[in-house]
Amino acid sequence: MPVTMTRGAFAKAGTSLAFKTGTWRSARPVHVHAAAPCHRACPAGEDQQAWLARIQEGHPQAAWESLVAANPIPAVTGRVCPHPCESACNRGKMDEPIAIHALERWLGDEAIRHGWAYPIPKGPARTERVAVVGAGPAGLSAAYHLVRRHYKVTLFDSMPEAGGLLRSAIPPTRLPRDVLDQELARLLALGIEFRQRTALGRDITLEELKTEFDAVFLGIGAGKSRHWDVDGAVPADLHEGLHLLKEWLQVGALPTPKAVAIHGGGNTAVDLARVMKRAGVAEVHLITASGLPGPDTEPDDVLNVVPREFEQAVEEGVKFYPHRTINRLIMRGSKVVGVEMVRLKKLPGANGRKTRVAFEGTETVLHVDMVVPAIGEVVDPAGVEALLHGKDYFACDRFGRMEGQGRVFVGGDARAWVKGYPNGTVTAAVGDGRRAAEAIDAFLSGREPAEEDRPPIPYEKLNLAYYESSARIRLPTLPLDSRNDTDEIEGGPTAAQAATEADRCFSCGNCLACDNCWTLCPDSAVIKTVDQASDGSHYVFDLDYCKGCGLCAHECPCGYIKMEAEEE
Amino acid sequence: MTDTTDLRDVVDTSALRARQPRFRGLEAGHRACQGCGEALAARLVTEAAGPDVILTNATGCLEVFSTAWPQSAWRVPWLHSLFENSAAIASGVEAALKAQGRRTKVIAQGGDGGTFDIGFQALSGMLERMHNVLYVCYDNEAYMNTGIQRSGSTPHAAMTTTSPPGKERMGKRHMKKDLLSIIAAHHIPYAASASVAYPQDLRRKVRRAMEIDGPTFLLIHSPCPLGWGHDGTVSIEVARLAVQTGLFPLVELERGEVASVMPIRKPVPVVEYLKRQGRFRHLFADGDHRAREEREHLQALADYNIERYGLMGDGDDPFDSEGADTIRRGGPARA
Repeated sequence: MPVTMTRGAFAKAGTSLAFKTGTWRSARPVHVHAAAPCHRACPAGEDQQAWLARIQEGHPQAAWESLVAANPIPAVTGRVCPHPCESACNRGKMDEPIAIHALERWLGDEAIRHGWAYPIPKGPARTERVAVVGAGPAGLSAAYHLVRRHYKVTLFDSMPEAGGLLRSAIPPTRLPRDVLDQELARLLALGIEFRQRTALGRDITLEELKTEFDAVFLGIGAGKSRHWDVDGAVPADLHEGLHLLKEWLQVGALPTPKAVAIHGGGNTAVDLARVMKRAGVAEVHLITASGLPGPDTEPDDVLNVVPREFEQAVEEGVKFYPHRTINRLIMRGSKVVGVEMVRLKKLPGANGRKTRVAFEGTETVLHVDMVVPAIGEVVDPAGVEALLHGKDYFACDRFGRMEGQGRVFVGGDARAWVKGYPNGTVTAAVGDGRRAAEAIDAFLSGREPAEEDRPPIPYEKLNLAYYESSARIRLPTLPLDSRNDTDEIEGGPTAAQAATEADRCFSCGNCLACDNCWTLCPDSAVIKTVDQASDGSHYVFDLDYCKGCGLCAHECPCGYIKMEAEEE
Repeated sequence: MTDTTDLRDVVDTSALRARQPRFRGLEAGHRACQGCGEALAARLVTEAAGPDVILTNATGCLEVFSTAWPQSAWRVPWLHSLFENSAAIASGVEAALKAQGRRTKVIAQGGDGGTFDIGFQALSGMLERMHNVLYVCYDNEAYMNTGIQRSGSTPHAAMTTTSPPGKERMGKRHMKKDLLSIIAAHHIPYAASASVAYPQDLRRKVRRAMEIDGPTFLLIHSPCPLGWGHDGTVSIEVARLAVQTGLFPLVELERGEVASVMPIRKPVPVVEYLKRQGRFRHLFADGDHRAREEREHLQALADYNIERYGLMGDGDDPFDSEGADTIRRGGPARA
C-alpha cells in the first residue's frame, strides 16, 4: 500500500485544536487603550501619543491632523506652551522626556509650509449661529471647534487683527509674527466670519449678541492689570507690566531707568524683564513669591514660565529674587528710590491650606529707580458687569457654563479657577475653547456635554525591559550676542530630528504592534490580524485556547493588555 | 469610558489561525500549564525550523502535554519512544533519511532530565557519530513531569521535592552540571544556549543550527511556573533575570570554542532573580546565616559566569541583552 506524506499538515480529527483549553481560564486578557500621561496633562486635550505614533509611521500630515483635532494652533503653542506634557512624560522617569513641544512646533510649521488643509469631519450643516467674543486663543479655539461641528460662527474682537494676547503681549522673539499671521489666516479661512474693531460694551452689547445669536462664547481674556500697592503706597509714575509690554510691542517705546524691580512671577514679568534688559536697562531685578524651576521646588510653587525661558533670562542677565515680596517702597517724595524685600514661603496653615508666610528679620533693600508690578491681570468688566458679580473672573464649570446663563459660555483667562483645570496659559485657553464648543453643541442639541475619560497609565504599568535609554534631541538656540528684539531665539527640529525623537515614544497605553504578545504566548492564543482587530491593535485573543496565564499582559511594553477576572 | 472589546463574537479566529504569518509546529490545545516556558520554547523552535523536519521526543512534560491521545498538538512528524533514547532514535531516523537520500532535518528534543542525566549517553553517542541532528534541550532545571525531583541541571541551593531545605542542606547541595562544556568537548560544529526571554536570539540560533550539516545542540532556559514557584504571568521576566544576572549566560560555541556571547550591560543582583521564585524561598529565611551564605554563593557563581564568558560588554552595544529585545513601532528592532 503506497504511503502518502503531507508535510506541514495535520489530520483535523486528531488535532489538539479540538481541546479548548480556554475553559481553564479564570482571567481573560483585554485590550485597554489607556490615556498616556502626556495626553492627560495636556490642557488643550491633545493626544500626543497618537500623533507621535503617526510621525513614527512616517505620516507627518496624519500626525498634524490628529493634533489639530484638539488644538488648531500648534505652530503657536509649539512655541509658547509650558508643555506640562513633557513634565508628565513617562520617559522622563527613565532618561529624558520626549521633546513633544518641539515636535508640535515642527508639525505646525510643516502644515503651514505645505498648506495642509484642516480636516473637518463630515456632518450635517447646522443652522444655529454662535457669537464668539475675543479672537485670542480661547475664542479662536471655540470658533474652530464650532466650525468643525458645522455651526455658523461670528468672531468679534476689539483689535484690527486676530490673536489677542498672542499678538499684544508675547514678544516676537518667542512667537515670530509671520508664524502667528499665517497660522491664524489659515484658521480664519475655514469660514469664520471675523468682525474686527468691534468691542463688547462699546460697539455691541451682550444683550444684542444674545438676541442675534443662539449662543455666545466669551473669550475676552483678562486685560486689566490687577490692583497693586504696597501698604497703600503707589509711585506717581506707575506703569503696569502688561501695559509696558503691549506698548513696546505696538509702538516700540520703553522706559529705560538705570535699575528696575519687576514684581511678579509669570510670563509677563519675565518677558518684560528680558525686553528691558535688551533695551539697555543696566540692572533688571525680578522679585517673585514663587520658587525657581528646579528639582527642589514643589510644582505648585514654581515660577509660572517655561523653564527654558527662565534659563535664557538668567543668561541674558536678569537677576531673580525667588520666595520674596516687596515689603515697603522707599520713596523720595512720590518717586521710588528703592524697595525693601522680605523672604516668604508658601506653607500649610492650621486648616491645611497653603498661604504665604513672610519671615521677619530677612528684609533687604534694592536700590532701583522704577518698580513695575506684573502680578497678574483681571477681567476688564466693561460690558460684562452683569456676569461678573463684582468678581475678578467669571465663575463657571469646566465646560464654561455659568450659573443661570443658559446660552452664554466663557473660557480662557477670563474664567475663574476650576478644580483640575488650571488656566492662565495659551494651551489652557485652547482647551477651554474646545470644551465650550462641545458644551454649546450639547446645549443646542439638547444633550449633556461629554468629555473623553480614559484611565491613566502609570510608569509602573509599562514593561521597561523593552525600552532602551536614548538621548533627547538638542535644539538650536540663538547665541547670547546675536539676540535682538525680533529674531526668534529658539530653533525648531529638522525632519530627521523629529523622526528620531518620535521614535523614543513609549506609546504608553496604546498598542505599537511590537508582536510581543503574539511571539510570547505559549498557547498560540494571540492571533495576528491587520484587518480584523477593530480596536486599533493588530491582535485578537483566541479565547477558545487562552488559558489566562497573563504572560502577554506582563510582557506588553505599553500596558495595553489587562487581565480581567472571568465571571463565575 | 474603558475601551475593552471582546472580539470573540465578531472574529472567526479559526479562519485567522490558518492564515498566521508564521509556521505553527506546535498548535494550541496542548495541555501545558499556564505560562509554561517549555511550551513557548518548543513553539519558537518549531516555528524557526519550519515544516521540513522530523521530531523525536524524550519522555517528559513536553511529550505528555502535547500528545494526549487521540490528539496531537504537533503539525510535523513526531516520535516518542522512551525517556533515555531521544538522541538514539533521532540518530536512527537521520540514518534512514540519509539512506533514502532525503534532506529532511531531524530535531531531537528532551527536557533537562532526559538530556543531562537519563539520555546523556545516547546524546553523547549521537554527537560522537556526527549525525546531522539538532538536539534541543528544554532546560527547566528539574524533573517536572514526575513531581519536581532534582536533576543534574537543578541549580545549586534550589529546593525540589528531593532536595528539600532543612537542617542539613539549603536545597540542592551540588552545582548545576556544566553540560554545554561537555557538549563542546565533543568538538561539534555548533552548540549554544538560549532563553525564552530572548525569542529573536533563540530563533536566530535555531536557524543557524538548521543550516549546519552535522550535530548541533541548543540549551534553552525554560521557566516552569509550577516547579520554580512563580506565577505564570512572570515566566518571561524570570527567564530574563536569569540572563541579566549572569546565572544563565547566553553563549554560542563553535567546535568547542566560544564564538559569541550576549553581553550584559548592567548585571542585575541575583537576589532579584531568586526572590521571585518559591524554590529559593528558604534563602530569604530570617535568622539563618546559611541563607545569606547561599545567596552570596549564587552571586559568586553568576560573577564567575560573567568573568568566564566575558559577559560585560563595552559601552552601548545594541546587541546586548538590553538591546536584544528592544521594541519599536511595527515590530522588533531587528529580525
